[in-house]
This record gives sequence, structure tokens and C-alpha cells, in this order.
Amino acid sequence: MKKILLLALALSVALGAFSGSAAQAAMRVDIMNPGQNIVNLALAAPLKGPQTQAAGMGGELQKLVEQNLSFLPFMRLTDPKAVLGGVLLPGYEPPALDFKRFQLAGSDIVITTFWPDGDSGTRPVQIRAFETHTGGRLFGKEYSKVSSRDLPEVADRFCADLLEALTGNGAFFRSTLAFVKKAGKLSANVWLVKPTGRDLRQITNMPGEAMSPAWSPDGRFVVFTHIDPKSHALGVWDRSTGKVQRIRFPGNVVIGPAFMPDNKVAVALSNGKYPVIFLLNHVFQKERVLEQSNAINVSPTFDSTGTKMAFTSSRMGGPQIFLKDLNTGSVTRVSKNGSYNTEANLSPDGTLVVYSRMTDYGHRIFVQDMLTGMERQISFGPGSDEQPSFCADSYFIAFASTRKGGRGIYLTTRHGGDAKQVPTGGGAASFPRWGMAVTQK
Amino acid sequence: MKRYALVLALVMALAAGFGCAKKNTVEPGYDDGLTPEMRAAIQQITDARVYFTFDKFDIQPEYKDMLKAKADLMKQYPSIRVRIEGNCDERGTQEYNLALGERRARAAYEYLVTLGVSPSQLEMISYGKENPAVQGTGDAVWAKNRRDDFRVIAH
Repeated sequence: MKKILLLALALSVALGAFSGSAAQAAMRVDIMNPGQNIVNLALAAPLKGPQTQAAGMGGELQKLVEQNLSFLPFMRLTDPKAVLGGVLLPGYEPPALDFKRFQLAGSDIVITTFWPDGDSGTRPVQIRAFETHTGGRLFGKEYSKVSSRDLPEVADRFCADLLEALTGNGAFFRSTLAFVKKAGKLSANVWLVKPTGRDLRQITNMPGEAMSPAWSPDGRFVVFTHIDPKSHALGVWDRSTGKVQRIRFPGNVVIGPAFMPDNKVAVALSNGKYPVIFLLNHVFQKERVLEQSNAINVSPTFDSTGTKMAFTSSRMGGPQIFLKDLNTGSVTRVSKNGSYNTEANLSPDGTLVVYSRMTDYGHRIFVQDMLTGMERQISFGPGSDEQPSFCADSYFIAFASTRKGGRGIYLTTRHGGDAKQVPTGGGAASFPRWGMAVTQK
Repeated sequence: MKRYALVLALVMALAAGFGCAKKNTVEPGYDDGLTPEMRAAIQQITDARVYFTFDKFDIQPEYKDMLKAKADLMKQYPSIRVRIEGNCDERGTQEYNLALGERRARAAYEYLVTLGVSPSQLEMISYGKENPAVQGTGDAVWAKNRRDDFRVIAH
């Protein structure tokens, strides 16, 4: 009996060791720690047959994928000229796929695209990703009935799948940013755009100033502050109807709405002398107070569990960032440097809070680790960098900046680094907020 | 015949244009039935602004007499209703400035109510930094934008 038990134990250890090594064989990119590694990625020429390049939709899709991947700071595209023998291959998978030429070019991953029925009209396309060193397939997918119009969506879906395979989270390419575009004094409306700059569209068309848009977790609503010459209100855009409601509250202010994970809205409203952070119910009526004091309390933001709320408060003089544990009610100060810290945004995983600080040179963006309390500056201007917002992956950060003169939206990461501008058309763009993918109607 | 029609249309368009110009010379909403005294009162209430220091919302002593004069006029003309508009300079961030602007409007509101103005004559709004009085940057510009405006909305 003892022998059988030992045998079973040995077998389970052996199986464990095997599955462990198998898991290690799949490439993973750690993007969360500061020393993130760079992945070199090669794109093989799209094929519609052996050595036959798909130059129609295949070429267009390739360009869109390249544009998408340029938004990933940890990804470096291999120059096709650096691949000995070229990137036009006899096949799209092993054994016809020659990994050596890509290894020699320093590529870690090679992507192949195959259009089995040609690449004009409406056709399926197969995309595969392989590790060049092991020859192992990271993933492969067929996207059916692809027409020219669908190519941007296919590129986004593929890049989301690739990102997920490498990092465990493909939210970046599945997200849509809500933001505000200014048309003049006290005139701004809410727009949507993919972080890559695609699918730009205006969703509100109201006289007055829209500010602080925020997505509902289910992607159905965008709420925002709306100011007309007479009053503040909560604007609510409903994706299912395309209509906008303007909800007024007693008092004078409606500031910085944010959704909690249960699709309820928290917003700063008047309640006596100072703005108070209220939780609204599902029909946007006051439910209860989340935070109040004899000071300004505004701009609530939550982690994905809804148990932590960061906010801006003037309770110690100038505005600073505080964190409230909604289970215990305890409030702790987060920002300890500088006299003017505002616009906090909690990472969905609750590990980081990002905020803007007024400096002598304009606002700059800082990230604080909630475990260690370590603070790090991640933006350096020029101009003013404001309104940081975490993507659902807790990695990418969108923010508004005047670094090129007019105000625009930029992307960086939790580690900082070069910021990339999101194309938003003409006009000053600000208040970027990440949300779920929205299919254009 | 066609020429006469064109001339007639031109004359009508000109007449309409003059009509518009005449209307535009009238202060919107203020002039109908106003006595010169009331017009002067409205002017006095509207013209004088309260200014603030950076990130503050307390009324400085130099503005207290001005607010008292506004209060006296509002008590004298109880039909006058005023919207107090709180504003900030461009340096702060937008959401916090909306709250700060409200505190600035409220500071004047509370002072006027303390002086005996009926709350029903007053309303408030904050525009944060979205409605600058003066465009540009620098201390002089910022100082002019950290303010309460007083807008007569009924009389």
C-alpha cells in the first residue's frame, strides 16, 4: 500500500514537473515590473499560397497590425530587410516555416498570415504567432468573412489576442477611450476613439461644456459633468439608444462622476458648504454619502473590487490625494509631496494610484505604489500633463497634455517612457477615460 | 418685373437687417420698463467683481464694502435676482477648480445673505477655469480670472 502511495506521489511529481516545463515553454512577457523585457517581433509577408504574397487585403491588414503594434512600448518590430532570405515564405506554419532566418534577425516571435481563398472580396484569414526559438505556436486564429471594411477590427482583435497570449491581458486593443473635445469657451462635447486613433466619433452634441466622462463597466453608459450657463448636471449617454439625458440635482455642483464595479455612479454633489461624494443608485438618484468633511472632496475613483476609493480632498489645506477603504471607512493620505495633487485614478488591480501634481513647470504625472508607498514621476512635459487614467490592464495610462501646444491625448505606461499621441482629429482633446469596446452603429 | 422683385427683396432684407441692428443695441432683458435708478443699480451690481488669491475662497476685506453696496441695492430692489458665478485661473485642474469656483460663489452668497439679502434673490454656479475673463497666462491674467461675477438674471 505504501509502495503504491509512493509510486502515485512520484508520478504526480513527474507530471507536475512536465506541466511546469510545458508552461515555461509558452512565452510570457512581464510588463508589470519595471525591468520589462523587449520582445522582437517579425511579420512574415501575408500569403495566399506558397511563396505567393497576398498584396490586397493582406497588405492592408499587415499595415494596420504594424500600426497597432507600434503602440506597445515593449514590442520592437524586426526590419524585414534584416531577415536573410526575406519574409516571403514558402508556408505559413512548420515545417514550411523557416524559423532560423528569424532567429538570426533577432526576432523572438514571427507572425504569419494566410488567406486560403485569396484576399479580395470577403474571405477568411488565418493568423498565427510562433516562438522562433522553440518553434512553438503561441496561438492561431481564423477570422472568417473578412472584407476590406472589417480589416481594422480584425487587426484590433488579432493584436488583442497576441497581447493576451504574451501578457495575460489584451484590454488595450479591446478598449475605447471616451474623451472631451473643446469647441470654444464653455463648449465641449464627448467623443469616443480607440487608443490607436480609429473609430473616432462624437456621441454628444449639446450646447455647454462636457467634462469628466466615465464609462460604465458594462460599456452601456458614459456619464459626464455637463455645465450650461445656468447649471451643472449629470450627463448620461446610453449606448443602446444613442440618447443623452441631463440629470439635475439640488445644489450647484456635479463634479467628476465615476462608475463603481456594480454599475452605480459616485459623484461629487453639493450638500451644504462643501461638495460631498455621493453614491447614486441605478436610476441616478442619491443613495448614500461615500465621503464628506469640512473641505472639498471630489474626483472619486475605484479599483475593480469597489472596496478602495481614491479621491481629491482639501482637508489638509491644498488639494491632496486620499484613499478610503470602503469596508472599514478608514481614510489615509496618499500624496505626501507637493502642495497640489489632484485627479487621482486607481489602477483596476488596486496596486497603483496615478495623479497629477502642480509643479513650477506645469502639471506632471506621478504614480504611487500602494504597497510600498514609493512614488515615481512618469511624465516630464513640456507643457502640462493632466487627467491620467488607467486602462483595464493596469498597465497603460492615458493622459491629456499640452506638450505640443494644443491639448491632446497621449498614452504611456505605469513605468512612464515615451508618450505616444492618440489621433483625435482637430480641436483640444482632454479627459481620456478607458472603457469597453464599442461597436460602431 | 423680375428686376422690381429683386429690388423689393433687397429693400426687405435691408429693413430686416436694420431691425436686427436696432434690437441688438438693447441690453438683453434689462431695458424694458427700467427706471434710470434701477438701471444704475443693475450696472453697479454687475460691474464690480470680487477677486481671490490662489486656491482660496475667503472674501478679502477690500471687497466687503463693495458687497455691502450690492446687498443694499438688492434689498432696495427685491425684484432683482443675481447669479453669482465662481471662476478660477487656469493653473489648477478642472474638477478641483469646479469645486473651488463653487466655494468662491458660495462665499459671496453667504456674505450677501448675512447682510440681509433674501436667498431667493440669489443663485450660484461654478465655471471652474472654463470661463476666463482674460485670455493668456501670467500673474496679472490669473489674478483677473480668480473672481466672482455677478449677473442680473431678473428684475
